[in-house]
Amino acid sequence: MAIQLEKLSYTYQAATPLAQQALKDVSFTIKDQSFTAIVGHTGSGKSTLLQHLNGLLKPTSGRLTVNGQVITPATKNKELAKLRQEVGFVFQFPEAQLFEETVLKDIAFAPKNFGATEQEAEKIAREKAQLVNLDESVLERSPFELSGGQMRRVAIAGILAMSPKVLVLDEPTAGLDPSGRAEMMALFKRLHEKEKLTIILVTHQMNDVANFADQVLVMESGRLLADKTPAELFSDPGWLKKHHLNLPQTTAFAQRLVERGMEFAQLPLTEHELAKVLATKIKEAEGENG
Amino acid sequence: MDKLLLGRYIQGDSLVHRLDPRVKMILCFYFVLIIFLCNNWQSYLLLGIVTLLSVLLSKIDLSYFVKGVMPLIWLILFTVLLQVFFTRGGPTYWQFGPFTLSQFGLVNGFYVFCRFVLIIFMSTLLTVTTTPLAIADATESLMQPLKKLKVPVHEIALMLSIALRFVPTLMDETTKIMNAQRSRGVDFSEGSLISRIKAVIPLLIPLFVSALTRAEDLATAMEARGYRGGEGRSKYRVQVWHLQDTLALVFFFLVTLALIFLRN
Repeated sequence: MAIQLEKLSYTYQAATPLAQQALKDVSFTIKDQSFTAIVGHTGSGKSTLLQHLNGLLKPTSGRLTVNGQVITPATKNKELAKLRQEVGFVFQFPEAQLFEETVLKDIAFAPKNFGATEQEAEKIAREKAQLVNLDESVLERSPFELSGGQMRRVAIAGILAMSPKVLVLDEPTAGLDPSGRAEMMALFKRLHEKEKLTIILVTHQMNDVANFADQVLVMESGRLLADKTPAELFSDPGWLKKHHLNLPQTTAFAQRLVERGMEFAQLPLTEHELAKVLATKIKEAEGENG
Repeated sequence: MDKLLLGRYIQGDSLVHRLDPRVKMILCFYFVLIIFLCNNWQSYLLLGIVTLLSVLLSKIDLSYFVKGVMPLIWLILFTVLLQVFFTRGGPTYWQFGPFTLSQFGLVNGFYVFCRFVLIIFMSTLLTVTTTPLAIADATESLMQPLKKLKVPVHEIALMLSIALRFVPTLMDETTKIMNAQRSRGVDFSEGSLISRIKAVIPLLIPLFVSALTRAEDLATAMEARGYRGGEGRSKYRVQVWHLQDTLALVFFFLVTLALIFLRN
């Protein structure tokens, strides 16, 4: 399920006084079953980019290939429907999309739209509810009675119910408390590893980028600024600073150690890596002294 | 909602932009009144020139105004056709049952068309050069005399400005929810009438939920800051009357005089 963009541009309200170019000549490739993070500031074109991936928007110029299906400005709207099923899109604050009387019905909504029978849809809904750790007891309750974190998991289950091959997540942890955030990210990691989903994550949390992604796309003013691995991206703190991006906590910590004279072969990205490096360094130091 | 929102405010710094919103509102209504004084081509030509002049002064592209006419084009054509086929008088070119095609009919049809287009141009000019909040403020200011009749002017203006303030917010919200439901396989634009009406439910329920939440939040925020009606309340945006505003009124008065002179 590779995704490929070639010189894709998009202009909002083209040919009016309010025309605004949101994407300019964006090209990149996302590999099958990869975990890609997209970072960039508000207004950098991230959301517009995401909306192309499942056919909510059509490019103004350039082309997009998702699993062999080619989308160009000339593609008819009808042909985009198939794309929507293959690419599940979890919007920012997805709990805003809940509307059914019960949680179960809400999760079963998408499969029914794509032609499943009532029983099939309910079966899928139960499976997906389990997948996102929703308790059996909430399934018959109204989604509006649940807590924020639970509502969000219902909404995500509602997307997973389409059995997409790609999951697009637009700041899925916004507005959650730290434990909710950790749980949510663990869920996506599980979906990526066990269910073999290709994951595309838009986030401001560099920690999540460092911990989970294997490719990072940096957007700025509608252009693709960088297409790197997290290790490459975070090895250049000067470049990040210039573009007002943060380092992950661990890397920032290591960076300050570097400023005080410690040497790293490569700046560590995760707590685990940092701990390992520090442990060896401490051992070396003890060896020298003792 | 990628579509052009007609009559939306376009930022600019022109004479028309700088006019007091109260003047613009008065003149817009006044224009609708005086256009009924027109009864020959000379008077329509005069108002046509006045309209074009105002549009030019606003420095906003004419095509934008033409697009403003488009959504109403069927209504306009229907009215024009009624005029053309049911007005009798003058030489008759064609007749079939109750339908006639006469000189008077054609001329009247043309006048009705001009009237529609000019009124739409002028009202588009008002909304394109004036922010919604300025219009709400102007309404409040113009309704002041009604206070004597115990009309809750301030509350009406407050409701108006809150409603206007939340139009873009709710539009964004609608787009977002529509996108979310389209991603879940809802098709808003195709299928039978019944399936389309059904497709609206997943859109309307979340929209109502969010609108009510917003309303509650706003009410709490206003109360927390001690809001209590209009009595003794000063304004952040004060509308000041300038010389240009008086001149605009005088100009339209002169136009009216010219109209009375031109009409027969």
